[in-house]
Amino acid sequence: MRSPHRARLTRGAAAAAGLALLAGCGGDTVPVPDQDGAVKSATHVRAERRAYDGAPPTIPHESFGARCAACHNARGQSVSGVGFAPASPHDDTERAGGTTRCRQCHVFVTTGGQFVASEYEPLEQDLRYGGRATPGAPPTMPHRTLMRENCVACHDGPGAREEVRTTHPERWRCRQCHVPVTERETFGSELGEGLTEGGR
Amino acid sequence: MKRRKFLETLGASAAGVAAFSCSDREEAARLAGQGVSDADLTWSKAPCRYCGTGCGVEVGVKDGMVRAVRGDVKSPVNRGLLCVKGYHLPGMLYGEDRLQYPMLREGGGWKRISWDEALDLVASKYQEALDQHGPESVAIYGSGQWTVFDGYAATKWFRGGLRSNNVEPNARLCMASAVTGFMTQFQSDEPMGCYEDFEEGDDFVMWGNNMAEMHPVLFSRILANKRQNPGVRIIDIATRRTPTTDYADMYVEMVPGSDLALANGILHLLLRNGKVDSAFVRENVVFKRGIEDLDRIGYGSWGEDGLGLDPSDGPAERYGFRDQGRNSSMRELERFLRDYTPERVSEICGVPVQQIYQLAELYGDRSRGTVSLWCMGVNQHTRGTWMNNLITDLHLLTGKISRPGANPFSLTGQPSACGTVREVGTLAHRLPADMVVMNAEHRAKAEEIWGVPPGTIPPRPGYHTMDMFRAFMRGDVRVMWTQTTNPWVSIPNLNRIQREPGDGKFLVVSDIYPTPSTEVADLVLPSAAWVEREGVFGNSERRTQHWHKAVDPPGEATEDAWQIMEVAKRMGMEHLFPWPDDDWHEPMYEEYRSFTLGLGKDVASYQQLKDTRGLLWPVVDGVETRYRYAAGHDPYVQKDRGVHFYKAKGYGEKAAFWLRPWHPPAESPDEEYPYWLCTGRVLEHWHTGSMTRRVRQLHQAVTEGYVELNRADAQRLSVTSGQMVRVVSRRGSLELPAKVDGRGKPPQGSVFIPFFDESRLPNLLTLDAMDNISKEPDFKKCAVRIERV
Repeated sequence: MRSPHRARLTRGAAAAAGLALLAGCGGDTVPVPDQDGAVKSATHVRAERRAYDGAPPTIPHESFGARCAACHNARGQSVSGVGFAPASPHDDTERAGGTTRCRQCHVFVTTGGQFVASEYEPLEQDLRYGGRATPGAPPTMPHRTLMRENCVACHDGPGAREEVRTTHPERWRCRQCHVPVTERETFGSELGEGLTEGGR
Repeated sequence: MKRRKFLETLGASAAGVAAFSCSDREEAARLAGQGVSDADLTWSKAPCRYCGTGCGVEVGVKDGMVRAVRGDVKSPVNRGLLCVKGYHLPGMLYGEDRLQYPMLREGGGWKRISWDEALDLVASKYQEALDQHGPESVAIYGSGQWTVFDGYAATKWFRGGLRSNNVEPNARLCMASAVTGFMTQFQSDEPMGCYEDFEEGDDFVMWGNNMAEMHPVLFSRILANKRQNPGVRIIDIATRRTPTTDYADMYVEMVPGSDLALANGILHLLLRNGKVDSAFVRENVVFKRGIEDLDRIGYGSWGEDGLGLDPSDGPAERYGFRDQGRNSSMRELERFLRDYTPERVSEICGVPVQQIYQLAELYGDRSRGTVSLWCMGVNQHTRGTWMNNLITDLHLLTGKISRPGANPFSLTGQPSACGTVREVGTLAHRLPADMVVMNAEHRAKAEEIWGVPPGTIPPRPGYHTMDMFRAFMRGDVRVMWTQTTNPWVSIPNLNRIQREPGDGKFLVVSDIYPTPSTEVADLVLPSAAWVEREGVFGNSERRTQHWHKAVDPPGEATEDAWQIMEVAKRMGMEHLFPWPDDDWHEPMYEEYRSFTLGLGKDVASYQQLKDTRGLLWPVVDGVETRYRYAAGHDPYVQKDRGVHFYKAKGYGEKAAFWLRPWHPPAESPDEEYPYWLCTGRVLEHWHTGSMTRRVRQLHQAVTEGYVELNRADAQRLSVTSGQMVRVVSRRGSLELPAKVDGRGKPPQGSVFIPFFDESRLPNLLTLDAMDNISKEPDFKKCAVRIERV
């Protein structure tokens, strides 16, 4: 049994454990070349397009003058000469096309550079979460589900990065087995004073 | 049952990470060892810093830095959604050029001084001006971004301490016409409806309002309603196509400034077709009529000193224009509206007759809830008060008011335009809770609450914004202090307020970044921004929202309210701010709140604000009011009354329907200047861009100012998108790149320039004509010509 009482992770311990993750890594890196041919991890590409983990990504292509939903439709589609346009991860993708304003949150990158340099240090994606309780258990979700209701948009199809592509798209109801981690806390009962081993 | 916070251990997730590739594992190792992760953040609530929507955000902090935000799912305003500006709030705080220390202009440069020196200097400058030139020679100019504390400290210090009413906000440029609109009709400011109107309504009529870009999260609520109820219609009445038009069921393109004719045309048809809700009108409405003579009203002070303008427009007597209302009647209205036949209105507006009929049908259809929405297009208008009146008239005549899903809804552009400017009362003539300095009883009440001698508050309103800056240039105002605003970008016809420091006057600018306004200052004070301090804002739907300080401000930056109180104390006015240095927010707020209680303006208690995602006033017995003046919602209305406009004591507790004619704009295109110029915002940047341009993603999305041209005009001028053109008005000229078929598409003969780019200032071109009732200038209509560069 896992105890609900856990110590806060220290930086050093996390680093040490993190290094341990690398054990077994050899030449099996999955290459994800970007448009310039550079090999970057999915995590890296993901971070590049976001101000911080949780921010809406910027649009990674130039404007084609078309409605977003023309390509980013319910299932996503291949766009000749550009690549695969994934479906929107937002709820209701199917019907949303005409009444959703994508560019309220997603903007084009029209230029490099900055108006003034920034000292902002963002929140980065945390890969310590989204783990399995036991080998073979379904992993929990390492991100919030708000605005990410349509799991298959990112986790299935040609648009899904290999690292996060589901092995079982045919099962459909993802959230039957995979649950979001909404709070980084565990249950601590007020009951059982003096009743359990070790006491309280 | 209590839950306790415990962190998941790495052990549990290692297996999960193993599902990722090796490159991701490297990434994971890196992140586990350094960087900031979600679990390390402390989250707290705050309203967004930018527009008047007042979205709830959660602010994630670690090691004294805001690392992330997320939409607050508990906020009834946005329910977890934000716009691109809101999602990128953290970067706004961390531009490397944040102002950190008080800086005094010395010789050709700046000298860092201590806060003590700075505050002593400000106090002595104010004292000197008071002694030598009297209370009208000092001024403070804030904004709708002032927190309730900043605004309250400013108004109390000025009116209760310096005996001067020269306290003004930039909101004069923004929603003063909405204030005069609501005051003339209900004798109480601010809308009766709330954001739930966006789910409850059937038809949404946007009057000159690009809601998709300017109030995007509220627009999303309307789109969600439309998605679920395909019968929902969006009507876009505008002078150019915008992203809002893409979602509209009907686009009504009108000639700039013709909206009053259009509204009167709709009223004409409502009467002709018997669509008046006579029972409602009999019970709840009185008819009023004001001065309508164009020659008597004029267009504000335009031309008063002939600065390249038409001096024949005449000066002083129009400048002091006061409207005089008299009683009118339905019968008189019928006669008045005879001039506004669909055919004549079509001629003035350039709107097809068919569309005028459709609009009348829509407003007249009792089975459908109609919500009218407006913001700057109606407010920044030489007849802004009148246009506010006419929109509300449409609702009064049809009884579509104070009901869920049927209301005239004025949107605001700044986060506390309502909470601070309108409720605390930082306009030159206002006191808290709808009171005004011209009223002796109101002054007496304020003097009593403030504990100052009777007769302290002067009965004459101070300078309004346009007048204040001119008085500063003339030298009638000797010392001016600006906070949370950037007037040397945002005032129309900037040519009139060009200043060289060292002109014998003294300008203090409190801000968070260098701007064109700090460039002309004598003293620059560094301010704390947003969650670097405790605050209260009030949004467009009467929601008062509180936030705690989440991080320290950089360097020696301090709260604007603190700066004001410290200067007041150095001038011997400690008695105005008698609270402990480390605990003054709550007592100051509760003192302010005492103004509002029992008047139908009751704001929530401080404790309740802390515990909730804000509450809609009036808050009585801890319960908020979603629909003002409505039985069953508003505790001041008796259950059997239906609707009761109880604040309008001067009208027998009825709402006033104002007959208002159409007048042409102050300046229209002619042979020499053949194009209309409209100015405004874009989604990605907020106002003068001093905050949003420092956010990489927003800057990279929209980098610089431009002028939108119609394709046919561009072809005629042989200009392509991206090519530089010169835009010239009677006031000035400006070079900037052309944009053809961008997000906004003006019709032929019209151009549009956004005002966020401090190096390309459209206010060098704009006209400083204004609404002579609200004193709000018109940024939307003047004449320019376009030249190839």
